[in-house]
Amino acid sequence: MYIPRTILILIVVIYLLFLVSVDWINQPSGAWYRPFFLGLLIILVASWAHRGRDSDEP
Amino acid sequence: MSLDLSTLFILGSSYLLLLFGVAYITDRGWIPTSIVQSPVVYVLALGVFASIWAYYTSIGNALESGYGYLANSIGISLAFLFSPLLLKPLLELSRTYQLSSLADLVAFRYQSPWAGTVATIVILVGVTPLLALQIRAVADTANLLTEESSEVLVAAGFCVLITLFAILFGTSRRAGRTRHDGLVMAIAFESLAKLAAYLAVGVFAVYGAFGGLDGIDLWLQSRPDLVSGLKETDYFSSFHVSALLFFTAAVAMPHMFYMTFNESNGQASLTFASWALPLYFLLISLPVLPILWAGIQSGSDVQVEYFPVIIGAAYDYPMLTLVGYLGGLSAASGLIIVITLALSNMCLNHLILPVTQPSAKQDIYRWLAWHRRVLTTALIWAGFLVHYLSENTTSVQAIGTVAFSAGLQFLPGIVAILYWPQGNKKGFLAGLLSGVAIWLGFLLIPLFGDDPTITLTSINWSSIAALSLMVNAALFIGISLTTTTTDKERNSADICALDTIRRRIRSGLVAKSPEEFVRSLSKPLGQEAANREVNQALKDLKIRYDDNRPSSLRLLRGRLEANLSGLLGPSIAGDIIDSYLPFSIVARHGSTDLNVIESRIESYRSNLSGMAADLDNLRRYHRQVLLELPLGVCSLSTEDEIVMWNQALTEITGIDAGEAVGSQLQDLPNPWYELLHQFLREDEHHTYKNNFQLNGQKKSVNLHKAYIDQSDPRELNHEGVILLIEDISETEILEAGLTHSERLASIGRLAAGVAHEIGNPITGIACLAQTIRDEYQGKELGQLATQIIEQTDRTSKILQSLVNFAHAGASLGSYEKQVVNVRQCMQETLTLISLDKKSKEIRISTQCDESLNILGDAQKLLQVMVNLVNNARDASAAGSEVLMAAHQADDQIKITVTDNGIGIPEAIRDRVFDPFFTTKEAGEGTGLGLSMVFSIVEDLGGDIDILSPCNKNHGTGTQVILTFSGYFGASEA
Repeated sequence: MYIPRTILILIVVIYLLFLVSVDWINQPSGAWYRPFFLGLLIILVASWAHRGRDSDEP
Repeated sequence: MSLDLSTLFILGSSYLLLLFGVAYITDRGWIPTSIVQSPVVYVLALGVFASIWAYYTSIGNALESGYGYLANSIGISLAFLFSPLLLKPLLELSRTYQLSSLADLVAFRYQSPWAGTVATIVILVGVTPLLALQIRAVADTANLLTEESSEVLVAAGFCVLITLFAILFGTSRRAGRTRHDGLVMAIAFESLAKLAAYLAVGVFAVYGAFGGLDGIDLWLQSRPDLVSGLKETDYFSSFHVSALLFFTAAVAMPHMFYMTFNESNGQASLTFASWALPLYFLLISLPVLPILWAGIQSGSDVQVEYFPVIIGAAYDYPMLTLVGYLGGLSAASGLIIVITLALSNMCLNHLILPVTQPSAKQDIYRWLAWHRRVLTTALIWAGFLVHYLSENTTSVQAIGTVAFSAGLQFLPGIVAILYWPQGNKKGFLAGLLSGVAIWLGFLLIPLFGDDPTITLTSINWSSIAALSLMVNAALFIGISLTTTTTDKERNSADICALDTIRRRIRSGLVAKSPEEFVRSLSKPLGQEAANREVNQALKDLKIRYDDNRPSSLRLLRGRLEANLSGLLGPSIAGDIIDSYLPFSIVARHGSTDLNVIESRIESYRSNLSGMAADLDNLRRYHRQVLLELPLGVCSLSTEDEIVMWNQALTEITGIDAGEAVGSQLQDLPNPWYELLHQFLREDEHHTYKNNFQLNGQKKSVNLHKAYIDQSDPRELNHEGVILLIEDISETEILEAGLTHSERLASIGRLAAGVAHEIGNPITGIACLAQTIRDEYQGKELGQLATQIIEQTDRTSKILQSLVNFAHAGASLGSYEKQVVNVRQCMQETLTLISLDKKSKEIRISTQCDESLNILGDAQKLLQVMVNLVNNARDASAAGSEVLMAAHQADDQIKITVTDNGIGIPEAIRDRVFDPFFTTKEAGEGTGLGLSMVFSIVEDLGGDIDILSPCNKNHGTGTQVILTFSGYFGASEA
């Protein structure tokens, strides 16, 4: 099965971020908007990973 | 806060009219295309997913499950973040085969109208409560603001406006196939409006209600229950199932399918949406918690879901209340419009058309448009009816969860479309129906029943949803593996599967031209519609109306099926195409259309990596070798269809590869068809020197053929024949030239011998005759001797010519090259010609630049020129003009001698350079002049050509053209 590189990058990034950030998000003293920082980070990585033009586009 | 109902109605109506305006000015083309078709607009239109669920229900979810409310945004965001896995291949499929809904997709993939019908019914049942939820939210919030019991009135008014909008902007006659720019723009505007409204309410909640982020933290310290509820989210149970529900919803929910695939501008827009849509959902999820806490802080007793609306009133900011209300109105109206349009298409294709179809006499487009309008109206009002009839006992969360759980049942079927070609319709239907039965029995009926104690938590909805999915998937896999799959289904599975190159069979069609396509399709569609559809498909494919090549017709058939699928759904379209445009021959063993595979690999090329990319490079290299081979290469399928036609063959035949590939051998013009057809029938694998005429010129080719054996019947079938066509016309000309030269040389030697052998006796005869003449002067014998002397003189002249000819032929390469000025040579020629007073008077003119020089022998060139001018004079009428001219062409000098005589008849044109060939009277010429000229020119390294007639209008005149390499050294020096 062919898996595009974009997806591999994103899966690794999301998995690692999820692992390291669950505790950070759930710290009782942590700000309520911490998950959104995490989301923003993933979106930034995604925008970088998806940056390539679809070269097969007619 | 209490508003007048009429004020609220005017406000709501004005907003919806604004929406009408946006759609209208877009459809009129007043907004630049660059904006309308920009990826940003596409992403905002996809924001339709953030419906009442995201706008109101999230607040309740946040209270109940903490960060669990984010499962909604995370699920849909993951679908887009991983778009290359699911959405992009589906976009490609839906665009290629014009599949406008999930029901179309499953009907197409599983080749079963029943799959489409069942999918439509499941979606219809699952989604109607979602419609009712939107109407209920609008009515409830209006009720909160007016504090009047006006729900029904508001709901009905809202439905009327939404119905009008959907009919005006979403059900055009070309619906289903063209992008509805007006609709997309209006939905994008709605998404922007609800995001702005929600963010405005959120910002107010942070800064207006709490005085900033620190204020929230301070307030939260007094509410540890809220903080612990937030932080103790159970990520491993309902959160996961919720995320999966919304992940699947990206494809399974009709409004998302409609917006993502039908209104897309292509892969680039989806790539942009892959990260931009998650950003949109992040932004719309951000204000949820502050709004919730501000609502709680205000002490409002209103249902938490409606905090975005009442927060303004609670903190005495009435404008904010209206902003919040309009945001909710946007969220509800956008979803209802898109969902009903998508559902109307599904119902039409899978519920109405299988039962009743328009007759050929009716205008099919009009019929479809009206049915779509009626269905859209019926669906909106069905939602209203459900809202009106249902008692408000079921929570809004429950309604939404039940609706999205229905979509979850399509997950195994969707994944199998791309990744599991073994899945078949029996497995799909069994899995879907079992999953739906569990969903119906354990979720829908209990939650919508009369018992108010049953809630989502009490029935453990996530376990039921997970169970239904597992049973569904298990049955799907089990039944697919144990039952047979039809060939048609397998073919369709191959088309859809991501890692399978489509194996299209190269088959002939009964209809042999686009015109016959129109005739055949007129029966089910009517003349006008058939004409329009065929022309549209030809236009899409950029194929000419007179293109009758089998490969073009196969493409046209495929395109027509896709286009009709956009209009009538894949099942009906497939039936029409199979019945009225059937294949005539199913090729032996199903030989594969390699061109289709090749174009598919080409279009997929940038996705290839590793060994696949290496193999592709290898393939391209081998292909290039064949294409660039300096021998004509043509390969034919077993059905005599041309599969390959290389560049050399294009040059040899003058037939472009684009025209030849895909056509039948018999479509080739003669003499090629006759030649190749004859050769294919012969047993010989090689034939040499096949001569024929092409455009008035002699052509000669060698032909070779080899048969391609079928290597493995299970793999791709490449049976056929490969032809090599070797153009040897030039070699033939060179050979002929060489033979001619050889002949000249031998004649030269012969002539020298003859001249020598005859010359001596003739000299003796002449001497004797002179003696007799001198002895018998004035007598009869003296006169006879004089006549003998005249005849021996004539013979001597002929012998001298022979000697000259022999000398010219024997001196190849023996002269010393010197710079010869062409103009000077022409002047000398003029002088020499003028000395011959016996010949007829003609005007000889020259046109020559002084600077033209060649390398050669001045005497030989002079001899050539004198000979040519003499010939020209002999051929011309007295007083006419002969022109000697010379000019430079690139690095060559062309010398021409042109007369206005009668020209050279075509019959003798090939023989004028032959020795002893003459058209003059006996005694007038020896026939050696031009032959000698030919030898000398060749000796000088030049070329000679004759153009006759050179005056095409009168058919007269002869022009002899001598071509020599120019010498430019002198001028440079």
